[in-house]
Amino acid sequence: MAQPLKKSLKQVKPILSLDKEEARKRVLHLYKAWFRQLPYIVRRYDIPKNVEQCRSKLREEFTKYDDIKDVRVIDMMIIKGQMELKETVNVWKQKGHIMAYFKDTIEPKPTDFLSKFLTSKD
Amino acid sequence: MLPTLRTLGNGLRRSAGFGRLHTSAISRHDALFVHRDTPEDNPDIPFEFTAENQKRVQAILAIYPEGHKRGAMIPLLDLAQRQYGWLPISAMHKVAEILNLPSMRVYEVATFYTMFMRKPTGKYHVQICTTTPCWLRGSDEILEAIKKNLNLEVGQTSSDKQFTLSEVECLGACVNAPMVQINDDYYEDLTVQDTNEILNDLKAGKKPKPGPRSGRFAAEPSGEPTSLKGEPPAAGFGVRADL
Amino acid sequence: MLRTTLAKVLNGAQFSPKNIAVITRAASDQAAKKPEKIEVFIDDIPVKVEPGTTVLQAAAMVGVEIPRFCYHERLAVAGNCRMCLVEVEKSPKPVAACAMPVMKGWRIKTDSELTKKAREGIMEFLLVNHPLDCPICDQGGECDLQDQSMAFGSDRSRFTDIDHSGKRAVEDKDIGPLIKTIMTRCIHCTRCIRFASEVAGVDDLGTTGRGNDMQVGTYVEKMFLSELSGNVIDLCPVGALTSKPYSFTARPWEIRKIDSIDVLDAVGSNIVVSTRTGEVMRIMPRVNEEINEEWLSDKSRFSYDGLKRQRLVTPMLRDSKGELKPVDWEVALLTVAKQLKNAGPSVGAIAGGFADAEVLVAVKDLLNKLGSEALCTEHTFPLDGSGTDLRSSYLLNNKIAGAEEADFVLLIGTNPRLEAPLLNSRLRKGYVHNELEVALIGPKVDLSYKYVHLGDSPSVLEQLVNGQHQISKKLTSAKKPLIIIGSEVLERPDGGAILSAVQKLCAATNPQTENWKVLNVLHKVASQVAALDIGYTPGVDKIRELSPKILLLLGADEGSIDKSDLSKDTFIIYLGHHGDNGAAVADAILPGAAYTEKQATYVNTEGRAQQTLTAVSPPGRAREDWKIIRALSEIIGATLPYDNLNEIRNRLDEVAPHLTRYGTAENANFFKQAEALSKSVKSQIDKTPFDVKLKELQDYFMTDSISRASPTMAKCVQAVIKQKQSKY
Repeated sequence: MAQPLKKSLKQVKPILSLDKEEARKRVLHLYKAWFRQLPYIVRRYDIPKNVEQCRSKLREEFTKYDDIKDVRVIDMMIIKGQMELKETVNVWKQKGHIMAYFKDTIEPKPTDFLSKFLTSKD
Repeated sequence: MLPTLRTLGNGLRRSAGFGRLHTSAISRHDALFVHRDTPEDNPDIPFEFTAENQKRVQAILAIYPEGHKRGAMIPLLDLAQRQYGWLPISAMHKVAEILNLPSMRVYEVATFYTMFMRKPTGKYHVQICTTTPCWLRGSDEILEAIKKNLNLEVGQTSSDKQFTLSEVECLGACVNAPMVQINDDYYEDLTVQDTNEILNDLKAGKKPKPGPRSGRFAAEPSGEPTSLKGEPPAAGFGVRADL
Repeated sequence: MLRTTLAKVLNGAQFSPKNIAVITRAASDQAAKKPEKIEVFIDDIPVKVEPGTTVLQAAAMVGVEIPRFCYHERLAVAGNCRMCLVEVEKSPKPVAACAMPVMKGWRIKTDSELTKKAREGIMEFLLVNHPLDCPICDQGGECDLQDQSMAFGSDRSRFTDIDHSGKRAVEDKDIGPLIKTIMTRCIHCTRCIRFASEVAGVDDLGTTGRGNDMQVGTYVEKMFLSELSGNVIDLCPVGALTSKPYSFTARPWEIRKIDSIDVLDAVGSNIVVSTRTGEVMRIMPRVNEEINEEWLSDKSRFSYDGLKRQRLVTPMLRDSKGELKPVDWEVALLTVAKQLKNAGPSVGAIAGGFADAEVLVAVKDLLNKLGSEALCTEHTFPLDGSGTDLRSSYLLNNKIAGAEEADFVLLIGTNPRLEAPLLNSRLRKGYVHNELEVALIGPKVDLSYKYVHLGDSPSVLEQLVNGQHQISKKLTSAKKPLIIIGSEVLERPDGGAILSAVQKLCAATNPQTENWKVLNVLHKVASQVAALDIGYTPGVDKIRELSPKILLLLGADEGSIDKSDLSKDTFIIYLGHHGDNGAAVADAILPGAAYTEKQATYVNTEGRAQQTLTAVSPPGRAREDWKIIRALSEIIGATLPYDNLNEIRNRLDEVAPHLTRYGTAENANFFKQAEALSKSVKSQIDKTPFDVKLKELQDYFMTDSISRASPTMAKCVQAVIKQKQSKY
């Protein structure tokens, strides 16, 4: 039973990258693309952040997923990242959408009973 | 005002020649089917059967078996009406009390039957029939005569509480049309003169003789019989000879 | 009367065993030789039915629903709307399905041309005199006439009012503060009349006049006042009778309906709460054959406006000036927790009538953790003999539905008509259809049916126990006797002796049916049974003795305990939803949720666990009751081991498994043991006559914190008082 399962796993169709190395290149490529655009983004969107802060946020966003090893998942995320980049650069987004990366306004949901009780969130 | 407008409208429509649809006019009942307290009719006015009628009440109740005493409701209401002249709300309550029924059950019966008078009614209740046979035989003139004689409109009661005039549907005396019913008596084959005579007699306190005024005894043909005069033919009359 | 049987009229209110015996024997003879079933065909589907089944019932058996207006399963057949006309083969005319018993071999066509034409014709007749005011009619959207004219009516109108003479118009009646009448819409189905006379037992409605001028009403200026009057609103197939408090507030398609349980009496009627925009718009009954059939009492139906008034919406603390000041939850909880910590085990709790099982068990756990056992209910129950240890001695053991099967009922110190209207409607049903005889010890009240009043002296009870009373024989010879004792008489100081006497009396009866339970206790509040099940001590005597430093009132508003009963420095915490008597004496107020605002367990007087569902969220800063206790426990440092509903329900299950078996009534046992224990009761029954609080209708409407806050209920009381002065 394990045999055909393995077989089918091996024969999975790649999305973009054929191996890890190729995926890595694509990630770096996307990172660089974002990195280059950051000054323009800061200017166009007039966000209360400087380029330095944005760079660290960019790094944070990428390193958040550094435990992902599946090439197909990485490819998927690269596609998503490219979409985000295009939307951002073409100003299809608004200020709030960019600021959402910094998530300063959202409070974490209470988890323990007492804080749930006091905030009236069940 | 409204009825005049309506007649006007009908006239217009007829003359214009349109309106193939025929609707009959809605005839509403002249009596009210809810009770309103009035000085003459309210639950504070006591009603009690007279000693004589008490006996009648017992006799009426005795007709009906146990468990079905409510059958006595109509006779008792009638008795109350005969005693009081009409049927006040206190009388209904009294009947309900005698029969041990909720008063609503008595109201239901009293309002259903048109012969229970729930409004103050005169000593003589003149009911004139204006249905087709009587109308053909001139009930309109009779009605006019009554109105003129009593100075009343239909539905009114004279101020001295002597007469009430009502227009009613067929009373089943078509063969002696036109006719009026005054209390329990039929006065038939009337002319305007007869009508005035009857009403004047009543006013004078006399009791006119009920029945046909044309000299007929009852519903026989006036004058000579016109048919079935000879001996009845024997058996086989008019039957084909070869049978 | 339509239902006064010959035997009853013959005997008046007296008992004559001879006559009854004849009737019962006749009835049993009938049952002995069961007639054969007959076969009929509904739309060519064969079905075997009992003789006497109507066409409509036979059709229902094969799933064919015949349209109807006047027919109602729970009322007598009237047969006056004619909507149920169906074709029967070889019958010259269509027959009224609701009133016509089937004959052998009948072929009934419910979908034939003739049937359709008949329905269309009837529909046309009904609509000729029905106003076209659906857009401003409260019934719109849930109207039988609308639905059936869509389904069975003609697709075009022949009604041409070219004379502009108008449709029939009838003046509206004033029949009280609950029911709005628009009598022009009435189609004369007479359901309301039949309900009033058969179920409610108030013969105030009827038809007056005849023909086109017939109208339904009261004839005289009289209000239709009954504890069950609201049900005519549900019964009315059109918008002639609608709810006055609900009028013009919402449309049926824009409301959300949540199934729930009523807690205003101990019956636990099943209800549907209709809400819109976070507000309870109305309450309607839900069918439950075991409890409320499809009726609902007026207090349960109309007191919902009390849920919006006098509410406690924020925690409050009494300041140095003695005034209650609103505070945050943090402050309130910390203050209360500090007090609790200082008090140590000197804590007591009193559970009021609306406390649900979850909060009851949470409070019990908390107090036990603090080392206190002073958990009491507001309403007492005797503790002598078996006390509350055996469930059988405090439940309505024979169940509500069982009451209508009884052949003899002895009521002791209770007025079921006002304490549990739906139990009383069962008794009335038994009285009307089942030759039930009722006797009452207690004040003379109007029960809506005839009964033998045995006086209100407790000596009658003693005579009965000794078998010396004139009806003793009746009681012992009855095949299905019931003794229903009101919880109110058991609250007397001599309650133990009374209960013991009643238990003896029950042991002396000889029920002929298996599993027939004679002893039945009728409670007045929704929380009592659950509290006793969980192990609360009935009555507040314990609190008086202990005079604890902290007293927790769980919605206890009946004033069973006074400030003077407690020491001066007692800190009173009120946990509840209405600013009533309890909140007035409190030092700290923790706002809780009312029964429409929480998912909570209630056990009714039969011992049936049922749950309410959240229909709206609690107002302001109010929270679900058990969560308040849970939060408090965490601050004190005695955290209770449940964080969500499932966990506390598990805890309920541990305490008493039946509390989470929703919908079923767990039978109580150990009647013999309870009776044996009751013999140990040595105290004597007092000479004070039995009394009940709710004697007349005006006492009924305002009995608890919700109904006391309800303007509609206040109007009802005024209406009853006004009616008393009326001459009719």
